[in-house]
Amino acid sequence: MENIKKSLVRYPFLERPVEIYERECGHKIIWAYKEGSLLNISSWVKTGSINENDENNGISHFLEHLMFKGTSKHKAGYFDRTLEAKGAIVNAATWKDYTFYYVTVPKGNDDKNLQETIELHADMMLNPVIPPEEIGEPFDLNQPVTTKRERHVVIEEIRMRKDQPWTKVYNSVNANLYSNHPYKRDVIGNEQIISTIKRETILDYYEKFYTPDNITTIIAGDINPDYVIAKIAKEFDFKGRKNHPKQEYKIDLQPTGGKYTEEYSKINTGFVMFGYLGAKANDIRTSLVLEMICSVLGDGLSSRLQQELIEKASEQIFNGVGAYYYPFRDGGNIFVQANFKPEAKNTVLEKLKQQIEILYTNGISEQELKKAKKKIKAGFASNSESVTDIADTIGYYITVPGGLNYVEEYADTIDKITAEEIKETAAEYMDINNVVISVLMPEEYKNEG
Amino acid sequence: MDKMILKNGIKVDIKTNKNTPRTAIVMHIRYNKNNTGKKSIYSLLSSLLFQGTKSRSAEQLAQELDENAIDIYYDLKADYMRFKILCLNEDVNLALNIFQDMFENSTLDNYEKEIQKIKGDLISELDSAKAQAKDEYLKTVYKNHQYAFSRKDAIEELETVTKEDLFEVFEQLKYIMAKNIFVVSDKTKEEILPLIEKHFEKLGVKETEYDTNLIEEIKENRVSTIIKDDANQAQIYMGWAIPIISFEEWPIINLVNTILGSAGLSSRLFLELREKKGLAYTVRSSYAINKLGSDFYVYIATEPKNIKTSIEGFQVEINKIMTEPMSSEELENAKNNAIGKRQFLFETNMSEAIIRGLYKYWGVDYDYEQKFIESVKEITKEDIMNFSKKYFSAPTALCVLAPEKYLKEAGLI
Repeated sequence: MENIKKSLVRYPFLERPVEIYERECGHKIIWAYKEGSLLNISSWVKTGSINENDENNGISHFLEHLMFKGTSKHKAGYFDRTLEAKGAIVNAATWKDYTFYYVTVPKGNDDKNLQETIELHADMMLNPVIPPEEIGEPFDLNQPVTTKRERHVVIEEIRMRKDQPWTKVYNSVNANLYSNHPYKRDVIGNEQIISTIKRETILDYYEKFYTPDNITTIIAGDINPDYVIAKIAKEFDFKGRKNHPKQEYKIDLQPTGGKYTEEYSKINTGFVMFGYLGAKANDIRTSLVLEMICSVLGDGLSSRLQQELIEKASEQIFNGVGAYYYPFRDGGNIFVQANFKPEAKNTVLEKLKQQIEILYTNGISEQELKKAKKKIKAGFASNSESVTDIADTIGYYITVPGGLNYVEEYADTIDKITAEEIKETAAEYMDINNVVISVLMPEEYKNEG
Repeated sequence: MDKMILKNGIKVDIKTNKNTPRTAIVMHIRYNKNNTGKKSIYSLLSSLLFQGTKSRSAEQLAQELDENAIDIYYDLKADYMRFKILCLNEDVNLALNIFQDMFENSTLDNYEKEIQKIKGDLISELDSAKAQAKDEYLKTVYKNHQYAFSRKDAIEELETVTKEDLFEVFEQLKYIMAKNIFVVSDKTKEEILPLIEKHFEKLGVKETEYDTNLIEEIKENRVSTIIKDDANQAQIYMGWAIPIISFEEWPIINLVNTILGSAGLSSRLFLELREKKGLAYTVRSSYAINKLGSDFYVYIATEPKNIKTSIEGFQVEINKIMTEPMSSEELENAKNNAIGKRQFLFETNMSEAIIRGLYKYWGVDYDYEQKFIESVKEITKEDIMNFSKKYFSAPTALCVLAPEKYLKEAGLI
């Protein structure tokens, strides 16, 4: 009998504690109770572009696509067809620190869909065959191709992103924020690599990173936990698959003196993004503070950017403003962004800088502090409303910061955060002299410099 | 489910879902006859509701909403506007109080400034190739009808809106608002109803007239193009106008969409155009049912040199669904898929309030969901073919955005 260590964690707005089961092999299984007719099973893998290099950039995401291409038991299409015929939504996503796969499905009468869903999900995670005919032959981007397969699908996804102004601006800021860390690369990779990468390289990557201690399987729903934990443990039979030592990466520091890039496109408005490096995700307190800073700056109608740059402005030069915090294992990102009338670019940049400086020079009011705290509380409420959101939140906390205890402690942690701490943290992380700025302008402004 | 009628005739439905942290309230307001062609007024008005009341400045209003994590937002659809309120259960009374104040006491000040803000938003949205193409598709499929209203039209129309127009619509809105209110909450009827009465029972309610001008049939194929020379992908919409669709056909169009290409990895378009031909990351079908006419469309974003292949691929799949009986297995799978997906519509309080509020807006009974599911179960292969023949054999509306070179190569310009 396998020795499985069980622990419980209180999760905000859920009726019952979340149950965590740690297996000897390192694989974790987590069950969250949520009343209702749907269940979600997800597996989060601790890999993404963080484990990529210049030769294989995009491999994590390409592998995510190829995981749907059949297993040693079932051909490509069986998984999707069978589960969607039960009304399921099946999908996956890849980001810097993680790749995750999920199925959200109606349980059916007497939980009739439960068993097969677990079996198919586990089969997909553990036994992918990645058939050569589904990947498609490597090809030269400059030559016509007669047979197109998954390589082309991913290349189309890359093309799609090239037509998105915000993605262009984000990629530019992201590349300039980092000098060495793998986070500097775009998660989706590029056409050159995707068109030529070999199947063997992809299989090696799978073997290296889809290891028991890198995978957490979460099941959320109103189901019998004893049955599902035993069933998942049985189906996730890693057959002695070895865990590998984890690679650590040197953390980059915010570029001193800042960086500015400007690109041009056939657009009508200007797009700008300011970027800073934030705290490591397991520094939960600082991460929460940075999230609150972004909330005060740019979340909602009452936020500073909205009020000062749009609502109270005498002239409408900003179309939209926002501030966001993206937490990552080796350090999050702070973004302040705006869409604007291109003729006012210089004023726009100046005003954004001013708002950031005012924040860390003067700090925030108690009213703003209270508001930011309430928003985070409401965010947890929102994330507890569906089995998919519950599983996503748990998957994120286990995979990126590294534990669900952070969720349990969030209320206490937030209560202790003061306006003074917000001011100090803003000053520490958001020095305007070091900001990385990317601007996308309409082509007609190209010669104006 | 508790159904009540307030003294002023407003119908209120309350559904209690225990152990849910947030309360959702939804109201649909259909555009009245005089203003169906002036949709930007509704957009402007909705936006102005957040710009201050007699007792709260715009900043105070924003502050109070954000401080309490109360979301009040609106959608503008083809026939109606929809207000949605979402808040923690502890804040329902406050949320309703603010909402009532916005509706009864908005000053509608600074409307010129708000016009500039909305125009800026719309211009910014048009920097998306997909948004441009979708706008142009709607203009093509709903030509000569109010549903053809695009962002570009809104930008032009906003210039002509006067304060008098605005107040006229606001007065109408106050009287026709909230004829139906749908609440889904952890709270019971006994807890919610007094709050609804307190905030809505004094409102006047008047009947109003609605536009009855149906969309026109497409007599011959319509093609529109947008040249965008720096586009990395062509955006292709191909659709059909459906002037009248009966209630009985709702489950069938839903199932046809499931089979052809609603979101999912096993639909025909996904399998044939993406998985087998590698033409796209995004390929799908969709439809909109409106009071005065509907449309069904297929969409793909693909490398510009694939325009012709993609359109041919669409035609093959459309011909197939019109002429070839599907296998019993595919039909059963599609039915189970469509039926199973219904449960997602009821998962959160807001999603449930939206779907039930929409049923209320359409005037169908509370048990419509069950009837819908039963109808899906009864659909035959012949129903699918007959429906497809009836609507997809008509001329199409095609809209393609791409670099000029590729539009020429595809014979579209």
